[in-house]
Amino acid sequence: MSGYDRRMFLRGALATGIAGSVAGVAAGKAVAETSTTPEAGAPPIPPFHGPHQAGILAPARRRTIVAAFDVMADGRDDLADLLQTLTDRARALTSGGIPEQVGITAPSSDSGILGPDIPGGDLMLTVGVGASLFDDRYGLASRKPSRLTRMPTFPNDDLDPAWCHGDLSLQLEADDDDTLLHALRDIAKHTRGGMQVRWRMNGFSNPPRPTGTQRNLLGFKDGIANPDATKAAEMDRRVWASGKAPEPAWTAGGSYLVVRLIRMLVEFWDRVGLDEQEKMFGRAKDTGAPLDGAHEQDAPQYQNDPEGLVIPLDSHIRRANPRTPQTDDSRILRRGFNYDRGMDSVGNLDVGLIFTCYQQDLQRQFEATQKRLADEPLVDYISPFGGGYFFALPGVQDSSRSFGGFLKV
Amino acid sequence: MHVRRVSTVIASSLLFVAGCSNSGVKAAPAQPAADPSIQISTSHCGEGWAHPAAGSQTLSITNTGTTTADADVIGVPGGAVYGELEGVAPGVTRSLPITLGQGTYAIRCQPEDGALIVGPSVRVAGSAKSGPAAVPVTYNDLYGPTREYQDYVAGGVKTLLARTKTLVAAVDRKDLKAAKKAWLPAHLAYEKLGAAYDTFGDFGDAIDGLPQGLPKGVHDPDFAGFHRVEYGLWHGESAASLRSPADRLLKDVKGLKADLPNEDMEPGDLPLRAHEIMENTLQFELTEKADQGSGTSLATASANLDGTRQAVEVLRPLLKSRYTGLSQMDADLDRVQKLLDAQKHGDSWTSVAGLGTSDRESIDGAVGELLERLAPIASICYPRRTS
Repeated sequence: MSGYDRRMFLRGALATGIAGSVAGVAAGKAVAETSTTPEAGAPPIPPFHGPHQAGILAPARRRTIVAAFDVMADGRDDLADLLQTLTDRARALTSGGIPEQVGITAPSSDSGILGPDIPGGDLMLTVGVGASLFDDRYGLASRKPSRLTRMPTFPNDDLDPAWCHGDLSLQLEADDDDTLLHALRDIAKHTRGGMQVRWRMNGFSNPPRPTGTQRNLLGFKDGIANPDATKAAEMDRRVWASGKAPEPAWTAGGSYLVVRLIRMLVEFWDRVGLDEQEKMFGRAKDTGAPLDGAHEQDAPQYQNDPEGLVIPLDSHIRRANPRTPQTDDSRILRRGFNYDRGMDSVGNLDVGLIFTCYQQDLQRQFEATQKRLADEPLVDYISPFGGGYFFALPGVQDSSRSFGGFLKV
Repeated sequence: MHVRRVSTVIASSLLFVAGCSNSGVKAAPAQPAADPSIQISTSHCGEGWAHPAAGSQTLSITNTGTTTADADVIGVPGGAVYGELEGVAPGVTRSLPITLGQGTYAIRCQPEDGALIVGPSVRVAGSAKSGPAAVPVTYNDLYGPTREYQDYVAGGVKTLLARTKTLVAAVDRKDLKAAKKAWLPAHLAYEKLGAAYDTFGDFGDAIDGLPQGLPKGVHDPDFAGFHRVEYGLWHGESAASLRSPADRLLKDVKGLKADLPNEDMEPGDLPLRAHEIMENTLQFELTEKADQGSGTSLATASANLDGTRQAVEVLRPLLKSRYTGLSQMDADLDRVQKLLDAQKHGDSWTSVAGLGTSDRESIDGAVGELLERLAPIASICYPRRTS
């Protein structure tokens, strides 16, 4: 018996909701509609259809929602329906257009918070799957991305189960909060019976202060040494799953996603001297330059500082990326956002980092980096409390396909 | 968790070399700093500060030498430090924001492996008020206070051992009522030591570790020490089952006591301890995160305050002439004390969850403000070379 009705996905006329889901329309709209982007010169959001999901390499937008869902779909067919619905909504929401008119037959198909004509090209959306989706519920064990596991507890973690893991991950990015909320509200409306939000965090990226890489809420420029997302060969080596054994073939074009929700104990941090802060990071707070350099993009010259007199051996940047041939293949593509969720019980700000990174291999990259960072001096000022491991699905190539492709192979 | 890092400045017996002590004092008009860059190096320390100016400004400092060096802007005479840069690598230029008032100043260069050099004195004219400055505290200055603090810890560990024995004996004779009664005094003896952020390394985790960060939480085999015993005592665990964690606790307390003479406390740790103990209290006790059922977080907070007072007391002689906020800090210590005392009722304490909003806000606010007053101690007493 099933307590779940596949019609809950509201497929059919109602579900189509927003018309105009052709990729070309989305791309055209993107150019036309991004003039309101606060950051002048921000590149347009790539179209929804493509070999990879757009939200992995494209520059981050100003706002994000990162959420994980527990799937309640009853059997594999229902799961396929759920992923089809999710694909339909993703396609529609990224393309924009006038919502389906339902006349007297139902309440409005759209919440209306973006007006009568949904702007297209304002939203990026990235869908991932967690290891738990491949348990015995849907008979998918043999299709599990070979490196996908449940996120372990790392030393210094303080994980809250209510903020960890999930069967599906969804990251929405846009320049405005209403765009994000509109999308989440729409997706939830169409998928209520099949999945429920397990946890959700809103995030924001900061404008450059005054230039260059954004600062995190500890006041340091963060994400400076990211691999170059415009270099395809580098992305093939670091980010994209190859689809070659031991990976199932369907994984080609996807990428492993790590989400870590990391509280920053900013009051404590603000009571630490500047020199000590800079030594913990290994960078100057004002310019973002490594302590042996002048500009944020200068590469630290560790070979000239073997004892760590300038950039301490246990500083964050030196542990995270020692810049040796042996550690080069552990580099990750970071895509962090800040979060602010109010105050804690003692009156301190509850703020921090939604750390997200993409990689080809969780163990070789994120976990190797994390192991090097264990017990770094910074750990007293941060507290990881949530997140999970996911596999960001390959892109939806065209209007005939869906995120559920891996169910059919 | 780890021991918060402190500088590895090496106490040096190298001679103070007044590199340019005979250079004349230059008068300069008050104008915005327009100097391209001031040098730090063994041979050119302070050169290039051609137009010293009053007011808020950013000095540009370039290490033109061959070794990594620190740079200070000091007052002449007296040697009070107005601003410092640490670990400037050869060839690197870094900016030093600073506010200078009317007076005489010099750049002091500290190559990592060489003698200190004081550059030429420069005079700043005008009526602007300089930013705050303090005469550096040296490693030598900190040895006495550190020894005093270690004596305090050694005395406290004796009490800790005696009280832990009482606790463990109660568990051994299966008297859990007595064990519950003995748990708090023993735990507070530990908390009075002022262990924060893993001061005692592995012993800290073994004796006072929390289940957070352990894969199986409170059921993890590595969850040990006072909070493990607390969890059992306040969650109906049998005396038989509690015996092993209690014995383990006693073994680790004995281990700490035996190890203590071998553990030389890093003098640079003490000034950090002054605020870190209460940072730890705010983060883990006033949030009740550390509580495993006894509801005694405020008792712990009070013991932590004792440990903090001890750290402050031994540093007081160094702070008197350097820290203008000292009397306000004392008032804040007393204020927190009074608020915590009010929550003690005979042998029992109000739990954090049992505090009314106004009491909770008063305690959180007072501790927060105290922390703001304690934090400068770490900056002021950070060990620095002056010779």
